[in-house]
Amino acid sequence: MRKKFWIVLTVAVVGVLLLTACPRPTPAPTEPAEATPAEAAAPGMKACFIYVGPIGDYGWSHAHEQGRLYVEKQFDWLETAYAESVPEADVDRFLDRFVVEEGCDVVFTTSFGFMDGTVAAAEKYPDTLFFHCSGYKRAPNLGTYMADFYQVYYLNGLMAGALTKTGKVGYVAAHPIPEVVRHINAFTLGVREVNPEATVDVRWLFAWYDPAAAREAAEALIDAGADVLAFTEDSPAVIEVGQEYTEKGQQIYTFSHYSPMGDFGPDTAVSGQLVDWGIIYEDILMKAYTGVYNNTNLQDVDYWWLLREKAVLLGARFGEPINPKFEDELKAVTVTDPLLGEMSVYDLVFKRIEQMEDPAMLFDPFTGPIYDQDGTLRLQAGQRATYDELLTIDWFVEGNVGTIPR
Amino acid sequence: MREFLLTVFSLSTLQGAVRAGTPLLLGTLGEVYAERSGVLNLGVEGMMIMGSVTAFGVAYTTGNIWLAILLAALAGGLLALIHAFTSITLRVNQVVSGLAITMLGLGVSGILGKRYIGQPPGVRLGAINIPVLSDLPIIGPLFFRYDPMVYISILLVVVLWFVLYRTRWGLSLRSVGESPATADALGVNVVRVRYLAVFFGGMMAGVGGAYLSVVYAPAWIEGMTAGAGWIVIALTIFAMWDPVRALLGAYLFGGVRVLQYRLQDLGVSPPLLNMLPFIFTILVLWMSAGEAMRKHIGAPAALMQPYVREERG
Repeated sequence: MRKKFWIVLTVAVVGVLLLTACPRPTPAPTEPAEATPAEAAAPGMKACFIYVGPIGDYGWSHAHEQGRLYVEKQFDWLETAYAESVPEADVDRFLDRFVVEEGCDVVFTTSFGFMDGTVAAAEKYPDTLFFHCSGYKRAPNLGTYMADFYQVYYLNGLMAGALTKTGKVGYVAAHPIPEVVRHINAFTLGVREVNPEATVDVRWLFAWYDPAAAREAAEALIDAGADVLAFTEDSPAVIEVGQEYTEKGQQIYTFSHYSPMGDFGPDTAVSGQLVDWGIIYEDILMKAYTGVYNNTNLQDVDYWWLLREKAVLLGARFGEPINPKFEDELKAVTVTDPLLGEMSVYDLVFKRIEQMEDPAMLFDPFTGPIYDQDGTLRLQAGQRATYDELLTIDWFVEGNVGTIPR
Repeated sequence: MREFLLTVFSLSTLQGAVRAGTPLLLGTLGEVYAERSGVLNLGVEGMMIMGSVTAFGVAYTTGNIWLAILLAALAGGLLALIHAFTSITLRVNQVVSGLAITMLGLGVSGILGKRYIGQPPGVRLGAINIPVLSDLPIIGPLFFRYDPMVYISILLVVVLWFVLYRTRWGLSLRSVGESPATADALGVNVVRVRYLAVFFGGMMAGVGGAYLSVVYAPAWIEGMTAGAGWIVIALTIFAMWDPVRALLGAYLFGGVRVLQYRLQDLGVSPPLLNMLPFIFTILVLWMSAGEAMRKHIGAPAALMQPYVREERG
């Protein structure tokens, strides 16, 4: 009798858990667009996405997922599918499944670690198009793409340099890889352009995504005297720490990263980096659909989209490059640029955006003279870092405190 | 060296250690009780994360932080009941069952939490300011500037220690974990005690998870416990199944956590610092691995042994 009671209870508990878990009417990949009538009208195309993290990370994979949703809405001939949290070692199985079972025409793999798996798949399935994000290996049916933030980090650095009162800026960084080093350097170049005495103190998390660790690192930086914080990792923890300190009366300025995190810190988030993968996916898929891209001509297709292409944007919220709350403070600080003359940092930011959005890219943060941490001249005066140099950068610019662990 | 010591024992490091250690402490207190009853629950990670998502969801929807923590406790407790059913009633392998609970919790929380991603919490529990006391130099920041959950968890340590060693309930609990057959012979309802202990363990794990999502972070992000549940299991052994030692252990682990980022600028290798909590965890598990050692450090004798009345052991 007793036993029966327990069985009933447990079944009930499991049932309730399952019930709460299952029937959420979340918009599944099955959108009305791919209903049968549309299919009958025109030949469709299927694009499949492989993500390394959960689409709920509010960072990298989440942003790619936003891109997928965008293109799916954009094209009625497009059908999509995705797999999230795919371990890098398992990508082969997912690639096989997407090509063989799901019949995908275009496959996007969105992590650096998927590179070799994607290369192998491109060889194995010559009729399918592959696009690998953030890698450098290409093939006739395998292209690469990346939206890079370094210019936006530089813009945020300008503001950070203007806002710091202690002259100490903190930076919470995920992993010591060229991408992150490039971001830190670009940010520091911005800081030092406005405030040549300021330093940027870097703390490494060794995780893309660990909110508790990011919080602890941010607090450690504030303890060490930093009053401005920027970061390259995937959680809004740094913004939240900034908001808390600010509410307690110690103004901390923060710059959000990757997703629109402004709502986490209305009184602290000045600006930040935003990405729009949607327009890259739109471009690629449109060209694949119309035959501009096919399985013979992707060898040299390498998207490296920046401000100019509007793949990356400035702001902690879409449509708001700078939090209006900090406008006056930024307008009060002036700098003298050898070419542009004297202007406020606020105006300088928009001027730089204009220059970098120009088709000729009139300005680039990585323009010499640039010295590294040890005082060695790395880029001659007037020399711009090449694409390859940016991709492999493994040294800190002058003004960074801390080291790049090897 | 002086700088090193200054950093390690700085006020803000100690403060950080307490806050980082609190979710671990809450989870460990629960697991101490569960294991004292003889049930190893490796589902702590899953129960914690269910607590995190529940608390965040409730706080976000209702704006009531205490209701959020309460329901998080319930969510953790309910998940623990599944473990109780499989390991106590069905007597399956506790390791397997616990691991399944962890996976279930991580998965279900991911689904439930989808809509909360990127949302700021409606409310959050901040540090409380106690008049006079909070403003004292040194003592103030060190002892009187935490959020209420820190004080509640410390209070729980005292209460749980008292219950465990000074009450009839605690005696029943300990006897069930040491020798269920004897306890049964003395009229203790072994199954009921174990169910309650596991349920309580789940509730505490749920509250620990809630602390992460509505107090510490505060945000919902998939997989946000990031291994805290496993550290809890190591801490339970480190604490030798004692609530007071759990407090010391949790703050110590919290300290190791926050120090990672504070020692970086002193030139200590970041990868090494990053490994510290896990090196610590491995050391603790290794120390407690041997049977002799386990007896020596006082593991419940019937830990992981299902109880069947007919089979006397």
